[in-house]
Amino acid sequence: MASALFASLPKPKYTGEHEEAPLHAQPKGPRIVGPGVIDESQIVLKRSGPPPYGQRSGWRPRNPEDFGDGGAFPEIPVAQYPLDMGRKGKSSSSNALTLQVDAEGKVKYDAIARQGHNDSRIIHSNFKDLIPLRQRAEAGDLSLDRPSQDEVAASTEKTKQALEKLVSGAVAAQKPKNVKGRNREEPTYVRYTPANQMGDTSKKNDRIFKIMPKQQDPMEPPKFKHKKIPRGPPSPPPPVMHSPPRKLTAEDQEAWKIPPAISNWKNPKGYTVPLDKRLAADGRGLQDVTINDKFAQFAEALFTADRHAREEVNMRAKMQQKLAEKEKLAKEEHLREMARQAREERAAATASRPRRDSGSRRRSRSKSYSDSYSSRSDTDYDSADERAHERALARKERREEDQRQYRQSKMGTERRMQALAREQNRDISEKVALGLAKPTAASETMYDSRLFNQTSGFDSGFNEDQHYDKPLFAAQDAISSIYRPKASAGMDDDEEGGADGTLEKIQKGNRFDALGKSNFKGADLVGEREEGPVQFEKDKDDPFGIDSLIGEAKKNQSENSKKKYGLERAEDREDESRKRRRIQDDD
Amino acid sequence: MSDVAQTISEQTRSLFGSDYGQASADASQIALHHKRKAEYDNVQELPKALAEKQAQAAASRGPKRPKVPNGGTNMALVKANGDAKTQTNGTTAGTPTSLVRRPNMQQPKPEWHAPWKLMRVISGHLGWVRTLAIDPDNQYFVSGAGDRTIKIWDLATGHLRLTLTGHISTVRGLAVSPRHPYLFSCGEDKKVKCWDLEANKVIRDYHGHLSGVYTLSLHPTLDVLVTGGRDGVSRVWDMRTRANVHVLSGHKQTVTDVKCQEADPQVISASLDKTVRLWDLAAGKTMGVLTHHKKGVRALALHPKEFTFASASTQTIKQWKCPEGALMQNFDGHNSVINTLAVNEDNVLFSGGDDGTMSFWDWKTGHRFQSLDSIAQPGSLDAEAGIMCSSFDQTGLRLITGEADKTIKIWGPDSKATPETHPLEWKPTLSRVKF
Repeated sequence: MASALFASLPKPKYTGEHEEAPLHAQPKGPRIVGPGVIDESQIVLKRSGPPPYGQRSGWRPRNPEDFGDGGAFPEIPVAQYPLDMGRKGKSSSSNALTLQVDAEGKVKYDAIARQGHNDSRIIHSNFKDLIPLRQRAEAGDLSLDRPSQDEVAASTEKTKQALEKLVSGAVAAQKPKNVKGRNREEPTYVRYTPANQMGDTSKKNDRIFKIMPKQQDPMEPPKFKHKKIPRGPPSPPPPVMHSPPRKLTAEDQEAWKIPPAISNWKNPKGYTVPLDKRLAADGRGLQDVTINDKFAQFAEALFTADRHAREEVNMRAKMQQKLAEKEKLAKEEHLREMARQAREERAAATASRPRRDSGSRRRSRSKSYSDSYSSRSDTDYDSADERAHERALARKERREEDQRQYRQSKMGTERRMQALAREQNRDISEKVALGLAKPTAASETMYDSRLFNQTSGFDSGFNEDQHYDKPLFAAQDAISSIYRPKASAGMDDDEEGGADGTLEKIQKGNRFDALGKSNFKGADLVGEREEGPVQFEKDKDDPFGIDSLIGEAKKNQSENSKKKYGLERAEDREDESRKRRRIQDDD
Repeated sequence: MSDVAQTISEQTRSLFGSDYGQASADASQIALHHKRKAEYDNVQELPKALAEKQAQAAASRGPKRPKVPNGGTNMALVKANGDAKTQTNGTTAGTPTSLVRRPNMQQPKPEWHAPWKLMRVISGHLGWVRTLAIDPDNQYFVSGAGDRTIKIWDLATGHLRLTLTGHISTVRGLAVSPRHPYLFSCGEDKKVKCWDLEANKVIRDYHGHLSGVYTLSLHPTLDVLVTGGRDGVSRVWDMRTRANVHVLSGHKQTVTDVKCQEADPQVISASLDKTVRLWDLAAGKTMGVLTHHKKGVRALALHPKEFTFASASTQTIKQWKCPEGALMQNFDGHNSVINTLAVNEDNVLFSGGDDGTMSFWDWKTGHRFQSLDSIAQPGSLDAEAGIMCSSFDQTGLRLITGEADKTIKIWGPDSKATPETHPLEWKPTLSRVKF
């Protein structure tokens, strides 16, 4: 079949049969012929190996067959490569290693891993190396001691020297010592006396040679090119002493699948996502808010409960008020009744004892009545009417006052604060009069300055929404400016300091020396006020001398006629007179 | 209905049973024999052709191998079948089950260690505490954090002594020199700095790393400093001249931890390419590569007395014997990303996880005697429970951990605990332990 196929093909143009090798290259030894040649010629002597001795003149071993089983022929002065050993070009094609056997006759398979490494290299190539030493049956005792001092010192010394060499080389390379032509050596001088030559006896002069090295061009390019030696074949990788990694199971793959991060701001192409889409993706509008129906019921219930509670509270309050009023009315009625009774009693008494002590009683009320004893009885009813009217007026006034106070007390703290706040700072007439509160002179519009600069400042962000929590005219500023002399007063120009000087003078100087005393009487008792408006303080001692009156009354009971000394005030006098009257009454 | 039927049948049996007799064992034997004879008699012998074939096969198999006595024996016994030595072990070769456990099969009992508990929480950093270093005199300790500061704390009181600023990114490595008044620091800003602790100033910068520097170690006997970082190389610096003595390249990924010791291998580096490399410092070449880990190795710890070290990757900690890098044992059970390891002289190994889990191990046997979760300080997220770095102080009685909740925690062994109050929770496994 194959022969038929070859027969069908055209004959090859170039077979290499007719080419003749050059003469020196033609094998001189036995001719090697193929099986086909046997048929052509009968004279065939097929021999392998070298020709026998004596017939080797001009014979050169070229091919592996020429060597037979042996080595090179030392008597033939020609490069010989038995078994192709050492032949250039061809030998590199095979990187097979020679078989190596250890002492026990076992093949050293780790030679392949040791190829290119030195002997001290640690290579794990046995199955034994996988078994831990602690679990090896024949491991024996392990010596785990650290190396001795001597060993350490020796290795340290060795390493140190090796490193020192490297360091010195590296340091030397850094120094620019190798630049050519920088330092020229001193020339050497040689005296030369020519010897007699060829019978020449003529006198020769001594010559002096100056020998100096030729100057080098420091910029001369290097004459020789450094050729990088190509890298040697890599040494084999270390044997891998672990099992191959397990294949990823589907589960593991699933577990390692990390979804890519999705940005709300950028789409995968890097463009910015529009705001509406971003909000849509946000999912905020996706779920509609559903409120439970019971919320409405709950709110309703709360509302009704609240209303109920309020009503009840109102009712209770009204009831209490009513009760209180009733009580008050009852009390008033009672008082009135008592007063009426007293009046009636008195009237009865006066009717029985007409003019006894009424004069003294009336005197305090009105001088005119007390003055005219005679007209007292006929003007009595007139004056009684008038007095009743007065009393009614006063009572009404007091009632109104009471009612207002009652209302205020019932108002609750919130309302009361509001009311107080309304009272405060309402009256600025005083400030207008002092020229502190002036309408803004701006031509355009008026602004409340408190509305400005609220967000920037020391206390911004604290009470932003309420602009009116501070007084319109800061009282402190006003006070400190009111009670201070002004520099522009003009009269203090000669003195140093101007306004400050004046202030000091006022504060330090005794302005009331002219009055004879350094201070007012009793002024030292009151603490001196440096600044601010005049403040009033509550009078502690009773202005009407009630206490003293009681004390004196007690004294007077013992000694009736006691003289009074010293300054007497009007009230005292009146008290005195009243007291006297009482004494008279007692009589 | 069925009840009725049963009662009837019982009655019948009670009436007539004595006449018929019960089916005895003999009877059943006879029945079986009869059945075998009756039904399977024709196939009692193989057909002739088959019988011939079988005989041939048996002949060609040749001499039989000695049969392994089955049950309870292992390979060692088989090998020693003709050997007289093993007879002394107390087990005879022929007996399949041995009641006496062989001495080298016994599991060593782990040493008892006091349980550790939290002693103090220091909250002063504003970022993850990424690195810790202890003063050789045990007076203070140094911490570096994500807030770009280095803070020096009093070890006894926990008060802040000093704050050093100078790094412009997270500080990832610190070391206090025992032979100089120097503090070395490195950070994610590619900088390695040398601080003079007498003036509290930066006096040297070691320039050369191409990316963040994640770890730093000082050589115990030479004036040499080794740093490793995200550019996958470890660099050896001469301390004084600032020259880059060696570039230890070989790792394919970030170098996460570097340790130096005085004897070969003088430098050990761990990397995220799942390998640990042992380096020959004099030549600047790899001495060996340990490829046993299956995940990136994040931490290394040298034992202060033994010539061993441990390396930790996710869920596994391995202990190695030093000059030759032989695997000694595995510490199994800490199921998290392990960020840090620390060993003290009392053979306590600490491992801290990225999720805040802590494990305390016995170094000799690999027994985990305590595991607990670190408590994140109040106000921190769940994700912020993580231990970033740890270190035992010079006495080995205090463990300092730097955590992702921005605190430094100090742990100590419970001084009241005794083996009676906290008994060792250890049971020898019944499975095979030696191979």
